[in-house]
Amino acid sequence: MFYQPQTLEEALELRGRLRDEAIVVKGGTDVLVAMNHGVLRPRSFLDLSQVKGFDVIERDDGWISMGAGATFAQVGQLDVGCLREAALSVGGPQIRNAGTIAGNLVSASPAGDGCVALLALDAQVEVASVARGSRWLRVNDEWFLAYRKTALADDELITRVRVRTDFQSAWYKIGKRGAVNISVVCCAVGRSPDGCYYLAFGSVAFRPIRTPQAEELLNGRALTDDLIACAAESVMDEVSPIDDQRAGAAYRRAMCGVLTRRLLRELDRM
Amino acid sequence: MPSSTESNKPDTMPQVEPLAGQSCKRIDGADKVAGRAMYGADLFPGQAELFAKVVRSPEAHARVLSLDTSKALAVEGVVGVYTHKDVGGTNRHGLIRRDHPVLVEDHVRYRGDALALVVAKSERAAESARDLVEAHFEKLPVIGTIDQALASGAPKIHPDGNVMGDKRIRKGDVEAALRTSDVVVSDTFETQTTDHAFLDLEAGIARWDGELLTIHAAGQWVHEERRLVALALGLGPERIRIIQPCTGGAFGGREDISIQIHLGLAALHHPGKTIALRYSRSESMIARHKRHALRIHYTLGAKRDGTLTAARIVVYSDEGAYASTGIAVMRKAASHATGPLRVPNVSVDVYGVHTNNNPTGAMRGFGACQMAIASNGIIERLARVLKMGPVTLFEKNLIEPGDEVTTGQHPENITIKECLRAALDKFHSKPYPNDPLPPHLKRGWGVSVMCFGLGYGDGFPDCSRAKVAIDEQGIITVYTGGVDVGQGLLNMAAQVAGTELGAKLEHVRVVAADTGRTDESGSSSATRQTYFTGNAVRMAASELREQLLDITGNCLKVHPHEISLGPGGAKNTPGFAYETANPDNHMSLGDLVREGKKRGYPLEARAMFKPRTVPGDPNTGKSPKAFVTYLFGAHVSQVLVDIETGETRVERHIGCHDVGKAINPQSVEGQIAGGVAQGIGMALMEEVVMRDGRMLNPGFTDYIVPTIRDIPPVEAIYLEHDDPGGPYGAHGVGEPPLIGAVPAVLAAIYNATGAAPNKLPCNPENMWWMLNDPQRRGDFTVTQAM
Repeated sequence: MFYQPQTLEEALELRGRLRDEAIVVKGGTDVLVAMNHGVLRPRSFLDLSQVKGFDVIERDDGWISMGAGATFAQVGQLDVGCLREAALSVGGPQIRNAGTIAGNLVSASPAGDGCVALLALDAQVEVASVARGSRWLRVNDEWFLAYRKTALADDELITRVRVRTDFQSAWYKIGKRGAVNISVVCCAVGRSPDGCYYLAFGSVAFRPIRTPQAEELLNGRALTDDLIACAAESVMDEVSPIDDQRAGAAYRRAMCGVLTRRLLRELDRM
Repeated sequence: MPSSTESNKPDTMPQVEPLAGQSCKRIDGADKVAGRAMYGADLFPGQAELFAKVVRSPEAHARVLSLDTSKALAVEGVVGVYTHKDVGGTNRHGLIRRDHPVLVEDHVRYRGDALALVVAKSERAAESARDLVEAHFEKLPVIGTIDQALASGAPKIHPDGNVMGDKRIRKGDVEAALRTSDVVVSDTFETQTTDHAFLDLEAGIARWDGELLTIHAAGQWVHEERRLVALALGLGPERIRIIQPCTGGAFGGREDISIQIHLGLAALHHPGKTIALRYSRSESMIARHKRHALRIHYTLGAKRDGTLTAARIVVYSDEGAYASTGIAVMRKAASHATGPLRVPNVSVDVYGVHTNNNPTGAMRGFGACQMAIASNGIIERLARVLKMGPVTLFEKNLIEPGDEVTTGQHPENITIKECLRAALDKFHSKPYPNDPLPPHLKRGWGVSVMCFGLGYGDGFPDCSRAKVAIDEQGIITVYTGGVDVGQGLLNMAAQVAGTELGAKLEHVRVVAADTGRTDESGSSSATRQTYFTGNAVRMAASELREQLLDITGNCLKVHPHEISLGPGGAKNTPGFAYETANPDNHMSLGDLVREGKKRGYPLEARAMFKPRTVPGDPNTGKSPKAFVTYLFGAHVSQVLVDIETGETRVERHIGCHDVGKAINPQSVEGQIAGGVAQGIGMALMEEVVMRDGRMLNPGFTDYIVPTIRDIPPVEAIYLEHDDPGGPYGAHGVGEPPLIGAVPAVLAAIYNATGAAPNKLPCNPENMWWMLNDPQRRGDFTVTQAM
């Protein structure tokens, strides 16, 4: 069955009823690939592409709030440092026109570029269900529970994702080519107005991660070369990359250090 | 007897520009752009009645103990499951050695080996059944590397052992020359396994009507494919017809048999039914042969002033599970070991070694491409030791007219210095960027030189045939067995025939690559079609022209020397013959054909072009004519390297090739741009990752090919030094651009970073290791220094 609700209410009602019987799809950039690879064989689809107002992006009281249907192309228009950069580094134009930032959060791929940027911005995600209404979760350990597993319940949908507008942030992705580029390592760093640091990394653990010990070293301190070096050392201890067909662990670990140094210096110049 | 109306009289005196030399639009272009062109998979709708799928081995090296097809046969819709017992002929294919089983009897040698063939009423049923064929194996140790294959006690992949063959060249006294050299440098170059990555996946249909087996499938040499199908299935070749559908890329990847024999086998078992078979991307990558990964130990000696003295080269080649074109690749590697460099003493030993990896076979520039990486790379290293500029060192040692190449052949038109100069002039025509770079970014540039022996060479029979006919509408049809895989063979043939017969392109049709309608014309490989088939078409068209001139002379009462052929006038009608000095005395080609028929003229002509080459001496490799002609080219590349992350971006790339004559300049520039793109892919990112015989990246998610962001606008230059043997002086351009591109990028990296890359690809990780690990710093050995 192919369900295509027109409103959020209908969508939530269907989600509550169908639960995991229907795969939720919007842009389809993860779902269709998984189907092509034979790892996903859904019997039904809950398609959110027609839900009215689902992709609206609003600014409100220091926050930018993105509807769950907002695409990477839309997010790439925002003036939110690392999030904009990350969104524009996803796939190619076709993928960015279809894929959504919320879908990136649900897939929770270790290499999810959007996830890494959201981690560095201490973003929040709103999920809703008919049964329990809506709730906000922080995009950190509250959201990412295990390999490709999130806190989203089987009757819930993401409705919004929001980030603060007063963070400074920077982004870098290392891949093997200039576009349609899966990260070998990606890194986003964010700094809140009160001097707290958020260091986030992709493709170096079973999920997109932050490195709390390095953040602790940095929080509230002025950036010096020594401090940056210490933070980079700490990052390299905290990440847990693996060897796979895309790169080796040693290289990935070293790159976490390089990117930490590079992006912290970039923040320092802001 | 002039008969045409005044308005149609030729308005083109003197003659129009010959088609050869014009950037005519592709005659197949509009159909491709509009989606009307029929590729293999486009033949399925409305035709496919039964669907076949191949059962492939899950093991890389094993004995097959038993094969149980009962569960597969029980799947609804399945009409047959076939094993080697159902194959009527030799059950073998292979381009040089027939060693590759159509369906494995008892010995699995790689994970793409075919165990069985499922035929069903739907593709889905065939897929379900494919997964239910149960094979029981006795696992054998998997040989994943050359070193494992050569280890004592290694299991034998083939009865003769794991060394598939060797090839040697001996010229002069290398050891003595090295001893007395002022400088000797050595390095080991490791090139990677790459995939052709053409877009049009293997797909086709076949039908057996009890008399004729017709197979529509894209290859690169339909007549050889017919032979291989015939032998494997035990059917006379005259009972097989192979027709090439429109084809989206090949790059050597369609030279080995893919779906043809399996399609034929299924069709023979289901007479009167049209069978369809296609691969997914992953099956295509897992089943198909790959580019040879080579390990090249290169030692080069020189005098203090940079004059080269000797080269000692030892090469190990990963041949994978079956021979494929490996023997030819080894020959090509040996004969191109020193490229266009003047080296008086040379010794080359190439060893081909079987492993349980994919068979390795043809891919654009095979053998020559890997050796160009090594020969250019070692010169770059020598230049650094001698503290000379690489360009100066190259120019000092490039062959000149009268010099010989590695095999001792004296090519007729050596233009490598002109190529290098033209490429450098282009490069220096723009100022070198001098913007201040942050310390982690390094910019550099480098050059490469290449030469390429065209055609099969080494005495291997190499022949093209063509037929050219003209009908009563004055439409010319060229018949050639050659295959257009996208490179532009159709235009080449049409433009050559049109040039001979004074016709416009729209009045020339080409029928290509159909064993039922065209004569054998060799493969679309070895950069040979323009030279070989171009010559055959020109000769056939020239003979037809003579017929037309004779008929005209007879009708118009003028001497054939005084007659011209040219396209029609305002109404765009097909061509005319007319008295050169008096165009009013003319007749249309259609009328000419009708008059010719009355007089018993055939109005068609056939031709064959078969120049001979001479096999190399088995002990020395020496041959007075290993290849019919040599091609030359030079590249310049400019890169920006992030030395902290290893990321490398090509900022500019210039490719200059002497093509003899550009029959279609736009196609030539396209070939250069495409070869450079593929070369940048090979230099920086492409790599088939194998672990213990298992491919870890069988798809475009992880087999990384370059995107438009990775390729700068390619600055393509072609030179036109007439090749006396080619049609209008043309020879070819297919493979050389890739061969030139890779070493130029590597030279630029060396110039930028001071580290000499010797392991491909230079992806960020390999670059980082080269730049940061003291053990793998990209250093080379200097065994004798001044």
